[in-house]
Amino acid sequence: MSSQPCHRSGSRLRISLVILLLLWSLAPMLWQLYSSLRTPESLLAGLAGLGGGWTLINYTAVLQANPPFWRYLLNSSVVGALSTLLTLALAIPCAYSLSRRGGLLKVVVGGGLLAAAVFPYVLLFLALLQVARQLGLANNLLALCLPYAGLSLPLAVLLLQAAFADMPVELEENAILERFTLWQRLRWILLPLMAPSVVSTGLLVFLFSWNEFPIALTWLSRSELQTLAPAMARIAGSSVFTVPFGPFAAATVLGSLPLLALLLIFQRQIVAGLTQGAIKG
Amino acid sequence: MKGTIAPGPGPTQNTGLRLAQLSRRIGGRMVLAGIDLAVKPGECVALLGPSGCGKSTILRLIAGLDSPDGGSILLAGRDITALAPGRREVAMVFQSYALYPHLSVERNLSLGMELRGVSRQRRQQEADRVLDMLQLGNFRDRKPSELSGGQRQRVALARALLRRPQVFLLDEPMSNLDAQLREELRPQLREILCAGEAPVVYVTHDQQEAMGVADRIGVLQGGILQQCGTPQELYNSPANVVVASFIGRPQINLLELGDGSLVGIRPEHLHPVKEGGLPVRVLNREWHGANQQLTVSSRHGQLRWTTGAAQPINDQLRLGWQAEHEHRFDQATGQRRNA
Repeated sequence: MSSQPCHRSGSRLRISLVILLLLWSLAPMLWQLYSSLRTPESLLAGLAGLGGGWTLINYTAVLQANPPFWRYLLNSSVVGALSTLLTLALAIPCAYSLSRRGGLLKVVVGGGLLAAAVFPYVLLFLALLQVARQLGLANNLLALCLPYAGLSLPLAVLLLQAAFADMPVELEENAILERFTLWQRLRWILLPLMAPSVVSTGLLVFLFSWNEFPIALTWLSRSELQTLAPAMARIAGSSVFTVPFGPFAAATVLGSLPLLALLLIFQRQIVAGLTQGAIKG
Repeated sequence: MKGTIAPGPGPTQNTGLRLAQLSRRIGGRMVLAGIDLAVKPGECVALLGPSGCGKSTILRLIAGLDSPDGGSILLAGRDITALAPGRREVAMVFQSYALYPHLSVERNLSLGMELRGVSRQRRQQEADRVLDMLQLGNFRDRKPSELSGGQRQRVALARALLRRPQVFLLDEPMSNLDAQLREELRPQLREILCAGEAPVVYVTHDQQEAMGVADRIGVLQGGILQQCGTPQELYNSPANVVVASFIGRPQINLLELGDGSLVGIRPEHLHPVKEGGLPVRVLNREWHGANQQLTVSSRHGQLRWTTGAAQPINDQLRLGWQAEHEHRFDQATGQRRNA
């Protein structure tokens, strides 16, 4: 990278583009934040209502509902965390052994994983419902981790396999000569170096489970067990005659806070994970 | 004080390394064919050859990172051919150094001991020993990325020394360093390697480096150990055309005499003669300060000739050589003829 100063008009253009991009991606969220802080009347009044009408009533409404909204957040967090841990615990050994093999097996398994990763999972949810009934997994919050981990596994294995393949093989060979066990090599050498990939993969799994709708809707019918997505759908459809924009927006804002926190915590690893392979050395 | 870090099942008396009829086939191609090599305790043998000649494969077989298709490996009196790599007590310095990039220099050295349950005090003591030996004391808290190429190489060396192995394996340890640094480090490396009792196998494609570091050199080509001997032996009586061409710069001249034999004359052994000899014509002349290197044409084709910088060059040049400097090879097999 050269450090020569940018041409002034060029940098101005760049700044405008960045602002446009930010508006493009942030505007819907800002709109939700705005809606969540307005009274229903002021939302419907258009520009005329801009002056007053600020309120926290939407938040108190969703937080004091029965069950309170934080219950769904908790449910989703538990399911998300467990699904992520389960997926990583299964995907890391799979990815490691796959990356250390060559030949036909790798091609076949890799192709199968790719096919599974791109398969539209919505087509499976009826069959999964049947499975849940047969095994008595319905209305069991933790059982939701099973389909989530199962559905996330193919992509997670593919991503982690690529990350393992990027590790210089001499690092592990030297550790082998130093009498590291397989577990020690993973724990002390490979996984710390792959932290960005592991974190990004984990976040993808967490996001999937956080946003997942059809399975959560059909597996869980008791309202205190519900996860975020079906719960929000319930808020949106809670009134027959009006759309409760305010409470719905408040729920959206509350529902994205944990994600925001996660992204902030793992920001560095995520960026490194996304750009991995692009720059080496 | 020796061998206390990793007491192995083998005897403490190191009897060296011995490869017997070692062979390796990869994908139908014979990478190594019947390698016999013995390295005495404290001896450094360099394996020299062009890339792809199988020299790194030998190291990997000794380390156990690859398994041979035939033959056996004996280290310190025990057969390690089928032993797991971690049980062999070998230390390897990789071409890329393979330093753990996320750990400080000191952690790079001590992590292995820590995982084997060596006490903190002992770890400290051992790390200090090799850090001092390689003058790395000031760098113990640095990450590998904060070190220069030469320092990284020394850390890799320190990590190998720390383990007091039964054999040191070095895979092109200098190839990532610039030429000047390489020359500076050579005596230091030799001193460190020769200080111990463990045999050393040093892989390189640079004959200068091999001659500077090793007690003996094994020339490998096409998966076959062409000759193994001291630098002097290889230079003075190469076993075949391959070794003759590989050792000595500029390359040896090979003249076809038409009687089924090749005559090898080193460029530095040619000298101008008044009568007889080969009449030659100068094609190119490089002046190097201490000497000059010429390319001349003769009735046997082009010849390389190295001579003193002051040697006058004229048109009526005839070159000769002394009989003792003549190497005779069989033209069909390339093997040496005269004793």
